[in-house]
Amino acid sequence: MDAVFDLATLRGAARVAGFTWTDEELEALRPVIQASLRLLATLDTLPLDAVEPTTQYRIL
Amino acid sequence: MSADLAFAPVADLARMIARKEVSPVEVVRVHLERIAALDATLRAYITVCDEAALAAARGAESALAAGRPVGALHGVPVALKDLYDTAGVRTTGGSKILADRVPEADATVVRRLKEAGAIVLGKLHMVEFAYGPEGLNAHHGAPRNPWDAAAARMPGGSSSGSGVAVAAGLAPAALGSDTGGSIRIPASLCGITGLKPTYGRVSRAGVLPLAWSMDHVGPMTRTVADSALLLRVMAGYDPADASTSVLPVPDYLAALSGDVKGLRVGLLRSFFLESATPEVRAAVETAAKALEKAGAILDEVALPAVAHVGAASYAVVASEALAYHTGWLKSRPTDYDPEVRKRLQLGAFITGAHYVRGQQVRALVRNEVDAALARRDVLLAPTTPLTAPRLDERQTTLGDGPSEVRGALIRLTRPFNFSGHPACAVPCGFSTGGLPIGMQLVGRPFDEATVLRAADAYQRLTDWHTRRPVLA
Repeated sequence: MDAVFDLATLRGAARVAGFTWTDEELEALRPVIQASLRLLATLDTLPLDAVEPTTQYRIL
Repeated sequence: MSADLAFAPVADLARMIARKEVSPVEVVRVHLERIAALDATLRAYITVCDEAALAAARGAESALAAGRPVGALHGVPVALKDLYDTAGVRTTGGSKILADRVPEADATVVRRLKEAGAIVLGKLHMVEFAYGPEGLNAHHGAPRNPWDAAAARMPGGSSSGSGVAVAAGLAPAALGSDTGGSIRIPASLCGITGLKPTYGRVSRAGVLPLAWSMDHVGPMTRTVADSALLLRVMAGYDPADASTSVLPVPDYLAALSGDVKGLRVGLLRSFFLESATPEVRAAVETAAKALEKAGAILDEVALPAVAHVGAASYAVVASEALAYHTGWLKSRPTDYDPEVRKRLQLGAFITGAHYVRGQQVRALVRNEVDAALARRDVLLAPTTPLTAPRLDERQTTLGDGPSEVRGALIRLTRPFNFSGHPACAVPCGFSTGGLPIGMQLVGRPFDEATVLRAADAYQRLTDWHTRRPVLA
């Protein structure tokens, strides 16, 4: 079951990130945000606990 | 003669200029005339440096006449995606925000090209701040794919102008940048060669970033040999870019033996060939057979972790892009292309934990590609699973079902931005509608020489890369 985020939640999250976006703008973004959060949630299902995160730097 | 010069390989131009068989002034003039005649329709260029290019060409001619030593690209014109800093020439990133920005210094690779004698023809069209694979740009209008300009098809992006200029003979070579496929996608859709080197092989200093840990810069040319020639000039350690390697730069041209006997080629079927449209799949399978017939040892290999690259790379790219753009997103939000602004805004809803998860998946993917290449020399896959869509097309059907066009375009290239492995895209056929089909060869880190050898050998076996679009 997906979490559904209302405008107040999105407004708050945007403010935490340092942005003040209009309700109209956030409403237009809302379906895309929902879809992107669904996509990101798939990462939480992967067996990554023993995997050290990397960047691409190869010291050569 | 002028059409011959416009479509001559860089290597031939450099040789003819060095032998004084043709003047660099004539070569530059031929390209400027084509730009004047065709670019109003094709829209490859944002800025044409006509006077400066002609002045540099006259200087190159004088140097030859005086018998001074010349570089590998002496007198050869090149064009640059408009995110490479150029001293005294505006560098806009395809944006309104940087429309009047004039850098004081050249990007490291631009300086290296000029030191080798190259002449900058101009700055090429691109997706705003390189954030999109279709080649669309709300500020400047989208460039037209030269293979079907009448039907207004996507050139691919974000190095859209680079793909169009090289395919249409408006530049013998161009530089692009590749964060999710932005060199290889326009190379595929426009029927040219595009090389994304290993992460760390070529300096990004003086190149506007999209996502630092995924950005790569490289050449876009009509032949693999020309990409090898440019890479030799561009590659190498740069103190201004901490990610660059101190490994020596090989002579990539010397590696092009034309021989693939015993070369181990892993064909990527699952996820890659399986998602391609039937025409693309058939073309890549035929290419694999051609390499096998020439002596390569072909097998099939799977990279299961790439199924998670979409989510993981989104967490990384959107976060890094937002970090770069936060200031302008606050101070000049309406100056962005609305689509690009939306992509940037989404980064605000990604957490630090998501970003780290993305980097964990990156480790898995990198290890998996390394493992596949431990027993093979190169991997082979389609570059894009489809040919150039129409500019207004948003949904498409791939070999494994419906897909958004945007996601389809980057699906097969993005894994190797994530892993950092070198990948070279070359044309490998045409659709029944006359649109180019591309394949990519992927190699071990810092082994561009083998990737280029395989790709060049393929071009010696086929003539797809020699075909030219019919232009009005």
